[in-house]
Amino acid sequence: MSNLIAARVQMGNSLAFHIVFVVLAMGMPLMLCIAEGLALWRRDPVWMLMARRWSKAVALIFIIGAVSGTVISFELGLLWPTYINYTGSILGPLFAIEGIFFFVEAIFLGIYLYGWDRLSPRAHWICSFPIWISGIFAALVIVTVNSWMNTPTGFQVQNGKLTGINSFQAIFNPAQPYEVVHMILASFVGIGFGVATVYAIAILRGKRDAYHRKAMLLGLTFGLVAIPLQMIAGDAIARSLETQQPVKLASMEAVYNTSEDVPLHLMGIPNVPQQGWFTQGLVIPDGLSLLVGFSPNTSVIGLNSVAANDRPSDAEIVILHLAFDLMVIFGMFMTLVAVVFWLLFIVRRGRMPEYGWLLWGIILCGPMAFIAVVCGWIVTELGRQPWVIYNFLLTSAAVTPAPYLNITFTIFTIIYILMAIILIVLLLRLARQPMPKMEWAAVTAVNPAEPSAV
Amino acid sequence: MTIADVLLSILWLALIIYTVTGGADFGGGMLELFAFGKTGPRQEVLIDESMDPVWESNHVWLIFLLVVFFTAFPPAFAAINVVLFIPLLLAVVGIVLRGSAFAFKVHGMIQRSRSARILSRIFSVASAMTPFFLALAAASIASGHIQIQNESQVVTNTGSDWFTPFTVTIGAMALTLCVTIAAIYMTVEATSRGDTELAEAFRRRGLIAGALTAALGLLGLILSPSEAAFLWHGLLDKAIPVVIVTMLVGVAAAAALWFRRYGWARVLIVAEAAFLLLSWGVSQYPYIIPPDVTAASASSPQQTQVFLLVGIIIALIIVVPSLWFLFYVFKLKKVAPDVGGAAQKPAE
Repeated sequence: MSNLIAARVQMGNSLAFHIVFVVLAMGMPLMLCIAEGLALWRRDPVWMLMARRWSKAVALIFIIGAVSGTVISFELGLLWPTYINYTGSILGPLFAIEGIFFFVEAIFLGIYLYGWDRLSPRAHWICSFPIWISGIFAALVIVTVNSWMNTPTGFQVQNGKLTGINSFQAIFNPAQPYEVVHMILASFVGIGFGVATVYAIAILRGKRDAYHRKAMLLGLTFGLVAIPLQMIAGDAIARSLETQQPVKLASMEAVYNTSEDVPLHLMGIPNVPQQGWFTQGLVIPDGLSLLVGFSPNTSVIGLNSVAANDRPSDAEIVILHLAFDLMVIFGMFMTLVAVVFWLLFIVRRGRMPEYGWLLWGIILCGPMAFIAVVCGWIVTELGRQPWVIYNFLLTSAAVTPAPYLNITFTIFTIIYILMAIILIVLLLRLARQPMPKMEWAAVTAVNPAEPSAV
Repeated sequence: MTIADVLLSILWLALIIYTVTGGADFGGGMLELFAFGKTGPRQEVLIDESMDPVWESNHVWLIFLLVVFFTAFPPAFAAINVVLFIPLLLAVVGIVLRGSAFAFKVHGMIQRSRSARILSRIFSVASAMTPFFLALAAASIASGHIQIQNESQVVTNTGSDWFTPFTVTIGAMALTLCVTIAAIYMTVEATSRGDTELAEAFRRRGLIAGALTAALGLLGLILSPSEAAFLWHGLLDKAIPVVIVTMLVGVAAAAALWFRRYGWARVLIVAEAAFLLLSWGVSQYPYIIPPDVTAASASSPQQTQVFLLVGIIIALIIVVPSLWFLFYVFKLKKVAPDVGGAAQKPAE
C-alpha cells in the first residue's frame, strides 16, 4: 500500500468511527434532557428511569467519542502536516473554539453523569442543557472547517505566502450553511432512529411495557421531525454543488459530458474508463437535470470538463456514486417509515401501532441512519479529491513524508475493531440490566455513577 | 511583548495545567500497578472514583494545547509532527488504550476477575505510555538536536534525536513526577474520607516516587551539558533563579508529605510542576524548536493570532466558572455520607 493510500484509509477509518460517536454524543444529551424534564414535570418514574439508565450508556459512548476525537486531532498533524500548516494559519481559531465547546460539554457531562445525588433534581436537569447546546455548536464549528476545505475563501497566496486573511469570509464560505445544517439534522435523524431501533427490537421480543413504548415514541418523534427537514436540506446541498463544486456532483452521478436531459441512475455501477455503465440500475430520465434546475433542459457540467488528474479517480467515482445512492435511498425509506408510523398512530387515535412488519421497518431505520451519515461523508470527502483544500492543496502534497504508514494503519485498525467489539458487548450488557419497580422512590435510587454488580 | 509571546505563554500555562491535572490521571493509572498490600483493593477503588468525573475535562487541556499550537505556530507544529512522528504516534496509542480501558473497566460491569485484571493492566501500562513519549518528544526538542533549515525538507527521525540517554531520563522523570502528583492528591482524597491507613499507603508511594523524580532530575541535569547543550546554556544564562526555586519547592513538597501536611503537599507539588516547566520555558525562550525555529519565525498571520487570542479570552470566561463548578461539586462540596454512596461501596 502506498503511503498516501495508507494515510487516507487510516484517516477515513478514524473519521467514520468517530462520526458515529459524534451523532450519539450530540443527540443523546438532548434525549436525556427531554426525558428528565418530562420526568420532573409529571413526576413520572418511567421517564426518570429512562434518563438514569441512558446516562450510563452515554458515559461509555462519550468516552469512546472523546478518545477517537483525540486520535483525529493528532492525526491531522501526524498524517497531514502540510494541511494543518495551511488550515491552522487560516482557520485554526475554529479548532480552538470547537475545543472550548467540547470542554463545556465534557465538564457538564461529568457533572450530569456523576452528580445525580450531589445536586437538587432541578439543578441536575439544568446541567443537561449546556451539554447538548455546546455539542451542537461544536459540530457547527468543526463542519465549518470542512466546508471551507470544499469551498475555500478568505485568503490569498502571494509568492507562496498566505496573505489577506479574512477569517469572517473563510468561516462564512459558500458551502458552510449547507453542510452545517445537513450534519446537525443528520445527527438528530441518527439518534432518533437509533433509539427507536433499540426499543423496537425490545417490543418485538415482547417487552410491551410503558418504558419501551415511551422510549420508542421519543425516538420516532425525533425521527419524524428531523427526516423530512433532512431530505429538504439534502436536496438543497445537491443543488448547491452545481455552482460550487460541479465536479463533485458530476462524480456522484457519473456524468461524463456536460449535457442536458441528464438522468439519475439509482444503484447503477459506472464504468468510468469506458465512459459508460456496467449496469444502469434504475434509470430516472432527466432526473439529475430536474434535481439541479427543475427542468429537463437544465445543463449539468460533466467530468470531462476537467483533466482526468483533476477529478476523483475512476474507482473513487464508483464508490461516490454508490455511497450517494445509498444515502438517498435510506433517507427515503426512513421518511416512509416515519410517515406510515405516525399516520397509523393518528388513525388509531394515539394507540401505538405495533405490527411486526412496522417494527421490522423501524429496526432497519437505525442502522440505515448511521450508514447514511458515513455515506454522506464519503461523498463529501471523496468528491473533493484529488484536493484536500479544493483547488489549492493536493492531498498528495499534504501527506506526511513519514515512513511505515501501513504499519500504523494496521495498528489503528486493530485498535478500532477491538474498541467497537468491546463497546457493543458492554452496551448490550447494560441493556440487559433488570428494571427496578416503576415507582418514584425505586427509580431515583438507581444511581448511574455507581458500578453495579448485577 | 508581541501577540506571539502572549500565545506562547498561554501554551506554557496550558502545559502546566495539563501536567497537574491530566498528568495526575496518568499517574493514578500507574499507581494502580503498585496497588498491593492490605489496602491494595481500596487504593484502586479510590483512584478510579477520584478520576472518573474529572479525567475527561482534564484531557481536554491536551486538545487545547494541540489546537493553540497549530493555530499560533503552524510551521513549527507541522515540522514537529514530521520529525517526531514515531514518539507522538506512540503517545496517541497510549491515549486510546488508556481511555478505552478505563471506560470499560469502570463502566463495563466486568464480573470475571481475570478480564478485570487484564483491563486494569492495560489501563496502567497505557497510562505510562503517553506521558513517557510526550516527555521524550519534549526533551528532544529542548535538547536542540532537531535542525530545521528548510521546512519542506524535514524528515522523520528514527531515534537518533529522540531516543537518547537524556530524553529517556526525562521521559522516566515525567513518569515518576506524574505518580508523585497522583499519590499526593490521593492522600488528600483518602484523608477527606477519613481513611488514614489508605492515606499512609499513598504517602509512602508519594515519597518514593518523589525521591526518584529528584534523582532523575539530577541525572538529567548532569547529562545535559553533553547531551542537551542548548538547554544547559539556556538554564545557565536565563533560568538559574527558576531552577533554584524549583529545587526548593521540591524539598518543601517532600517535607510537607513527610509531616503529613497533605493539603500543603498538594499545593507545593502543583507549584513544583509549574516551576519545573517554567524553567524549561524560560531557558528555551524565544525558540520553539531550537536552534532554528523561533516564535516569531513560526507565527501564523497576525489576523489569525488575534482571532485566536480573542477566542481564548472568551473561552476562559466560559470555561473557568464551569470548571470551578465541576471541581466544587466533586472535590469540595460536602455530601451527606448516606447519600454519596460511592465511598462505602466496596469493590465487587
